[in-house]
Amino acid sequence: MTALLEVRDARKSFGGVHAVDGVSLSLALGEVLAVLGHNGAGKSTLMQMIAGAHPFDGGELLLSGQPVKFASPADSRAAGIETIHQKLALADNLDSVANLFLGRELRTRLGLLDDAAMRAAAVPLFARLNPNFKNTADPVMSLSGGQRQVVAIARALQFKARVLIMDEPCAALGPAETAMVHDLIRRLSAEGVGILLVTHDMPDVFALSHRLAVMKNGRLVGVCRTADVNEDEVLAMIIAGKAPAAVSA
Amino acid sequence: MSEQSKRLAVMAAALVAIALGFHALTGSFLTAENLSNLVQQTAVVGIVASGMALIIVARQIDLAVGSLLGAVGVLMAWLQYTQGWSVPASLAAGLGFALAIGLFQGALSAIVGLPSFVVTLGGLVSLRGAAFLIADGKTQPISEPWLLALGGGMDGALGERGSWIVGVALVALCVGWQVVQRRAQSRAGLEARAMSREALQAVLTAVAVLGAVAVFNAYRIEGQEQGQGLPLPLLVWGVVVLGLSFVAKHTRFGRYVYAIGGNPEAARLAGIPVRRVLIQLNLLLAALVALAAVVAMARLNAGTNSMGTGMELTVIAAAVIGGVSLSGGSGSVAGTVLGALIIQSIDSGLLLTDVSIGWRMVVLGQVLVAAVVFDRVVHK
Repeated sequence: MTALLEVRDARKSFGGVHAVDGVSLSLALGEVLAVLGHNGAGKSTLMQMIAGAHPFDGGELLLSGQPVKFASPADSRAAGIETIHQKLALADNLDSVANLFLGRELRTRLGLLDDAAMRAAAVPLFARLNPNFKNTADPVMSLSGGQRQVVAIARALQFKARVLIMDEPCAALGPAETAMVHDLIRRLSAEGVGILLVTHDMPDVFALSHRLAVMKNGRLVGVCRTADVNEDEVLAMIIAGKAPAAVSA
Repeated sequence: MSEQSKRLAVMAAALVAIALGFHALTGSFLTAENLSNLVQQTAVVGIVASGMALIIVARQIDLAVGSLLGAVGVLMAWLQYTQGWSVPASLAAGLGFALAIGLFQGALSAIVGLPSFVVTLGGLVSLRGAAFLIADGKTQPISEPWLLALGGGMDGALGERGSWIVGVALVALCVGWQVVQRRAQSRAGLEARAMSREALQAVLTAVAVLGAVAVFNAYRIEGQEQGQGLPLPLLVWGVVVLGLSFVAKHTRFGRYVYAIGGNPEAARLAGIPVRRVLIQLNLLLAALVALAAVVAMARLNAGTNSMGTGMELTVIAAAVIGGVSLSGGSGSVAGTVLGALIIQSIDSGLLLTDVSIGWRMVVLGQVLVAAVVFDRVVHK
């Protein structure tokens, strides 16, 4: 079966530093693939390459078997890859509705912003994700971390993402909000969305992921089924960069 | 009430208090004649400030607007007076020159990545030099009557009948827009605002607009058969403000300007063409400067190389007093109207009370500081 998303021999360097050095990964429909590694292991760079924010220096990206090249984040999003950045990438001065549609505003026949239609689409979506989310007309800077996360995740739902990249989605969230995000990830996965989950948090990895990939110094240490390994083995992969015997693919 | 409308209400109250204070001191501040002069004096700064607001919202700055106004003004007047060009051709050339400068400065900051402060600081100096070079420092008088009318004065107003027509049309436009908005909301299945609030807004709009028309119509120059009505510089300024407010609120371009100001990285990641928007914004401000140069030239009856000297600071001050945050992302076009009027009111009011130029400058500088302090206190 063709993978939903495949990265082949991806390379990226910044001024002589090989941030991503020959990494290959694949992601199936509805799969949650955890991407692990120390800070500076290259995971965020790899995710930004997939998201179109950094061009590939070498290697290729395939979507449903077709090679794709993204010149900008807009290209990647148009192809159905939605990214939730660690810092959430929200315009703090705009309200949640404007942020949901940022860069993809609905417009009237005259080409003007269709605020009424955007609000009408956004409010029920936010309510579905978090019933307590009422202050949708306030600037997002005044929202809680969980509500901000809802705005970011809502983008993936509104625009029917096929691949979702989440960078530390539960960092800085309280227990209830973390549970809500976990629930959303499972729901999206059940709907067939492929999810790349970048995280440092072991409970997240074991609660959510089907497989995990570990990176160190820009290279892939190994990929394995989450059910086949325990936390110690994963930590050993991250810290020592050694794949345990059980790891095959 | 949103943060922004609260802010506008406070500024409007401050303006009213300033006007009442000066009226109590001079007895002549709140006369139709003085108010007419006041808005005519404010229009040039006001036109540029409305564009400056969006520049600052997008985390940019433009220090070259005063010098550009000088260079464009002299260029247009010189083409007419010394080179014998027709008025439309000279105005088009002035606009073309301004847009070329806007494109150059915009590209340097948006594409090359230089801070706009540095780029336009260079422009401030160079363009003032260009203003001198174009006509070799000589004043270039202009004579075309309809062009001079744009500067206001005795023949530069709409008259009573024309002013009522414009006033009624504006009220109709505002109320019509309310109806359009309401329809869009109900079509989208959103809860509409209470009818009483809509009615209140419509009535307030009508009272403000028609009240202003009545005031300007009440100003009659000796020997004239009827009142002056709306001065043309005010009309130009008003069209600019309404147009830009609309662009800021209801177009993608406006939304992107605010998004870039709020978080440039988020804007880029959301697929917003940040560089293109910033260049467009620079072109927009340059076009407004060219328009303001026409009005300034018409007011002076000439183009001179010193036109617009120091204006960049008044314009930025008007934007800041009007609620534009220098750190970007917040502020409104409408606020700059109040900001510009507050500065001009204080300046003219102090002049009427015989305060020396030195003290006027001392006070105006601290008014700017006070406005920012006030902002900080309110936001804490």
